[in-house]
Amino acid sequence: MNYAAAVAVCPQVKMLERNVPSEQCALERLAAWAYQFSSTVILGKTSSHFQDARRAVLWLEIGASLKLFGGFRNLIETIERELQSLSYTYRLGIGPTLEGAALLARAGIRIAITNTQALRSRIRDLPIHQLAMPTHVCQNLVTSGVRTIGLLLELPRDAIAKRFGPEITLFLDRLTGSIADPRPAFTLPPRYAAKFDFDFELKHSEALLFPLKRMVREFAGFLRGHDVGAQTFMLVFEHREVPATRIQIGLSIPDRDPEKFLALVRERLERTELPAHTIGLRLLADQFSTPTTQQSDLFSNTLQNSEELAHTLDRITARLGKNGIYGLRSVADHRPESSWSAASITEKRRSLEFPERPLWLLSQPKPLQLSAMPQITSGPERIESGWWDAADVQRDYYIVRTSNGSDLWVYRDLSGNGEWYLHGFWS
Amino acid sequence: MNRAETLEQLARLCRTGIAAAPAIESSGVMELDCALPHGGWPVGTIVELMPLTTGIGEFRLLMPLLARLTRTENYIALISTPYIPFAPALARHGIQLERLVVIDAKTQEDTLWAFEQTLRCKSFGAVVAWPTTVRDREVRRLQLAAEAGRSIGFLYRPPAAALESSPAAIRLKLQTNQNGLEIDILKCRGARGGFSVTIDSTRLNEEAPSLPSAVQDVRMARSSDHPPSASHFFLCCGSASPYPSCLLKLCKRARSRLPPS
Repeated sequence: MNYAAAVAVCPQVKMLERNVPSEQCALERLAAWAYQFSSTVILGKTSSHFQDARRAVLWLEIGASLKLFGGFRNLIETIERELQSLSYTYRLGIGPTLEGAALLARAGIRIAITNTQALRSRIRDLPIHQLAMPTHVCQNLVTSGVRTIGLLLELPRDAIAKRFGPEITLFLDRLTGSIADPRPAFTLPPRYAAKFDFDFELKHSEALLFPLKRMVREFAGFLRGHDVGAQTFMLVFEHREVPATRIQIGLSIPDRDPEKFLALVRERLERTELPAHTIGLRLLADQFSTPTTQQSDLFSNTLQNSEELAHTLDRITARLGKNGIYGLRSVADHRPESSWSAASITEKRRSLEFPERPLWLLSQPKPLQLSAMPQITSGPERIESGWWDAADVQRDYYIVRTSNGSDLWVYRDLSGNGEWYLHGFWS
Repeated sequence: MNRAETLEQLARLCRTGIAAAPAIESSGVMELDCALPHGGWPVGTIVELMPLTTGIGEFRLLMPLLARLTRTENYIALISTPYIPFAPALARHGIQLERLVVIDAKTQEDTLWAFEQTLRCKSFGAVVAWPTTVRDREVRRLQLAAEAGRSIGFLYRPPAAALESSPAAIRLKLQTNQNGLEIDILKCRGARGGFSVTIDSTRLNEEAPSLPSAVQDVRMARSSDHPPSASHFFLCCGSASPYPSCLLKLCKRARSRLPPS
């Protein structure tokens, strides 16, 4: 049916252009995702021919996976549940041969057929069009009265070969399992790159979350297939005119939980102002490592907790930025402003001995206007240091108590005119 | 951990589904522990602190608890601190800096968000935050987060907040008098509030000694439901204690509560 005819039948019909390369990409992504269920994944070709548009196939060898996933029913249920969460439309068929399974899927027969005998009897009455053969062959067969697959299989093979070529008999033999059907299995690429192009521009980052959800889930499937975790991955938002926006998502420990990834992505996306509307999305990752095994003691939940902690810190970092969260470290320096520094939370600290110091330090000493000398409770402590760098200090530190009872850490600047400064609180 | 303890823990796990249930963390300050209804900060709650000014020992008050938490594999977080938390001083108070997380949130919204996230996380034993303003609804939300994460959330608020009501479990107003830091207990869950204790604030400077067993006896007796017997108290006071005056005061208070015999 062409477009004009379609519009005549249904005026609301919307035309979408078909994009074969991106279909093939999607199939490859699905193959990477399916690798978690089976060690042998075989990727079918997407045909550009209109008639074969619905014939893109992905085969999974499940015989060896049954035990791992707890039986046939469990495996199929898991695969279907995950597939639905990726929101692809699909049909499923289970058969003893590759072409047989594909045929069953196409015909919509949802019965697991495990031997060729049963397969033969099950497909006998199916129309010849269901077979993945060239259209003209099917047409010729139908006009010569061979309408079902059963009739075709009963014909002598050499006659078929003579009339339609040896590839048709080869196909039929492979379908029924009389000869082997070796095909190259899909291998996982060493790096991950997924692309998602939109037909229209997406304005809101809210709307971006839907495709992102799908991409992240596929990515998690890839990681599970590889049995690795990712510590960082890159999201690229492509725009029509301005250069693409890149967002690096980092985790403190390698992980492959799509929900955790999504939480981080959502947090980052809320904080990021995209310069223009988005027309494409890419997810890139090339560094993988083994994730921590999730085993924990019955009594001490330390491992579980440390993972939870890492996740919490990741989320805070994603929202507040790298400078928003840090640890503290003492530095061996007499000058108060140089005797501390921010540190990464995980690093080891040296223990240093300091004299008594206030809990709060002012980032900038505040000049004090003193009308009367306050009550000095302790001091002076002279700190004279730093002549070797630009920040030379000569100060006398005192602890003073104000009339309302608060203890302040003040100093008298000896290098200047003896002004007084407030430098901390004994909170 | 010895075998008996493990078995005990297993039994508790089977009974309640909770591995360990120390619902109280001692504040490490004797006078305060005695004043609070169960002998310390209740775990899984929000504590509001309303100091009159900065520099009266309002943060030092938490140091014994925070130091102990960091020594027992817990993390602590300081969120939106008013000034720089000075690492040498924190270390002097016994805090393991490896277990301290400082969070700088630019906005009020982020502060409360980070507060909630850290409270919910089971690795954090206590979280201290200095938001500019907090509403009732938000405190209630934080309270739920603290319950979920079994941590203690300390919330510093301006002194004006003392006039408002709040769903926090404990509300303390802090000011100074000539004897030291005066803590007005405006509200505490499990007892009637409205009394005050005074702490010699110079004592807060050093690392607090661990509570001797005698003092713990008193705490247990106080927290039990039935009124403590007088003989029980004699026994406690008989043993050596570094806080004689405090114990005496406590005995007086306990005796005044006993039914006349």
